[in-house]
Amino acid sequence: MAARCAGRALSRAARSVINAEYNRAARSQTVQRLTCTAAPGSSSSGQDADRLKAVQFADAEVQDILNRITGLDLNKVFQPVKQELKPPKYRLLTDTQLEEAAHKAGTQAKKLLKMPPVLPERKPIEEVLCEDKMLEGMDKAKYVFTDITYNIPHRERFIVVREPSGTLRKASWEERDRLLQVYFPKNERKLTPPPMFKEENLKVMFGQNRHHAVLNYCLVQFEPDSAEFKRVHALTYEDIEKNGKYNLLWSTRLFGGLVWHLISSQRIDGLLSDMLQRDRVHDAESLVHLFNLAHPQSDSALQAQQQQASGLELLKIYADCECQRPGFIKLALQVYEQTKTQSSA
Amino acid sequence: MSVHGNCGSQDEIWADKVKKIKVVCEMKLKIDTKTRAMVHLSSLLLRKYHGGHVAIRLALGGATNRPFYRIVAAYNKRSRDGKYIEQLGSYDPLPNIYNEKLVSFNFDRIKYWMGCGAHPTKPVAKLLGLAGFFPLHPMTITEAERRIKSEAKTQKEEEEDEEEKQAEQ
Repeated sequence: MAARCAGRALSRAARSVINAEYNRAARSQTVQRLTCTAAPGSSSSGQDADRLKAVQFADAEVQDILNRITGLDLNKVFQPVKQELKPPKYRLLTDTQLEEAAHKAGTQAKKLLKMPPVLPERKPIEEVLCEDKMLEGMDKAKYVFTDITYNIPHRERFIVVREPSGTLRKASWEERDRLLQVYFPKNERKLTPPPMFKEENLKVMFGQNRHHAVLNYCLVQFEPDSAEFKRVHALTYEDIEKNGKYNLLWSTRLFGGLVWHLISSQRIDGLLSDMLQRDRVHDAESLVHLFNLAHPQSDSALQAQQQQASGLELLKIYADCECQRPGFIKLALQVYEQTKTQSSA
Repeated sequence: MSVHGNCGSQDEIWADKVKKIKVVCEMKLKIDTKTRAMVHLSSLLLRKYHGGHVAIRLALGGATNRPFYRIVAAYNKRSRDGKYIEQLGSYDPLPNIYNEKLVSFNFDRIKYWMGCGAHPTKPVAKLLGLAGFFPLHPMTITEAERRIKSEAKTQKEEEEDEEEKQAEQ
């Protein structure tokens, strides 16, 4: 009886079995595949959003600021990547064709610099479709059934496990990732995550200052909302923050994620001082502005709103209110103002 | 009007028949041909395999002591591993390192072929029942019961052997 119901449920166009959470997450993933969508209730706000709504990673304003802070060091962006040696191809183009080719190269560069999404961690799947006690002892191994229909997005695919105890349940996220890699393999993704992502080996990579390689590999191997992805990213960002190696990720597409992580944990002092040391005052201002947007209830945000501050005043207000190392920032601001007056005079 | 007159070729006669049946079907079911895909009336097209049908079955592949099955839609009379119409999935009977037997189904195409009148074989029906796509096959339940009984028997025998050993000691 129960089996018949389960059979009918699955066989009736599989897409019509709607799981509320699945559907929302799946639709948001599938409709806007390249850009991430803001999932409500992320942990970064965590305050009453009655009057002032804290800003999410995916908002246009935030993305704009992060893109500006990331900077555009062409030498670093177009750094030679290890590739197979191919002989160069020469083509004869007219002026208009040359402009088109340059335009295409520009869009390609923008794609390369596209920030990977920061999504809330995915909740474990615990749906049981059917319990058949009469099948107990049928087999000692599990049966895993995957739907290979071509035109469904991977998030909506049915992957179902029949346990030896007879329960028919949906596969967990790790099982899903593994099976999707079996039947729909992605380039360079392994079935079992490589030993590089263990803590000891990560420390070795950090010692060699290869944070960007770690993060790029992590992007390839794991899904953006998986626990492993978040863990590796958290470890990388902690190491960078501890040793002040912010410049390693500057002008790469990974910088935005680093900045967002620091902002949500309210530890932007190190990054601010680093920026001021390298004379990137405008970036520092946008950073503080972003901090105020993300934490609208904090002292600096409220004061800045009261005084309608902008520019260096923002930095001063931040240094007064929230900063844990105000001395350095105030010194740096003073020096900057002195140099400005000197250069203008 | 065919060019060859009354003694038209077999193909033309068959094509005419299929057309007439389609028209009748459409009239009865009021199907709009533009939106509906072509309906494979497989029993009619099997004029060479008279009395045959399309089967959804397991085709064996792999190597010695390492079977691997492809779930395949093929004509009934074809050889087991021979030419098939379409592959609809796979089944690996040996469990992997995670103790899983991997089965894949292209449900969209299976629905299509079932709609055209294909017959699934017993093992395929069992797998589909375990997947939840079909109702559970009665033999699956029977086999589970038989296995439980035989395990209970072997356990009893082991217990009796142990008792005898203890009695000897």
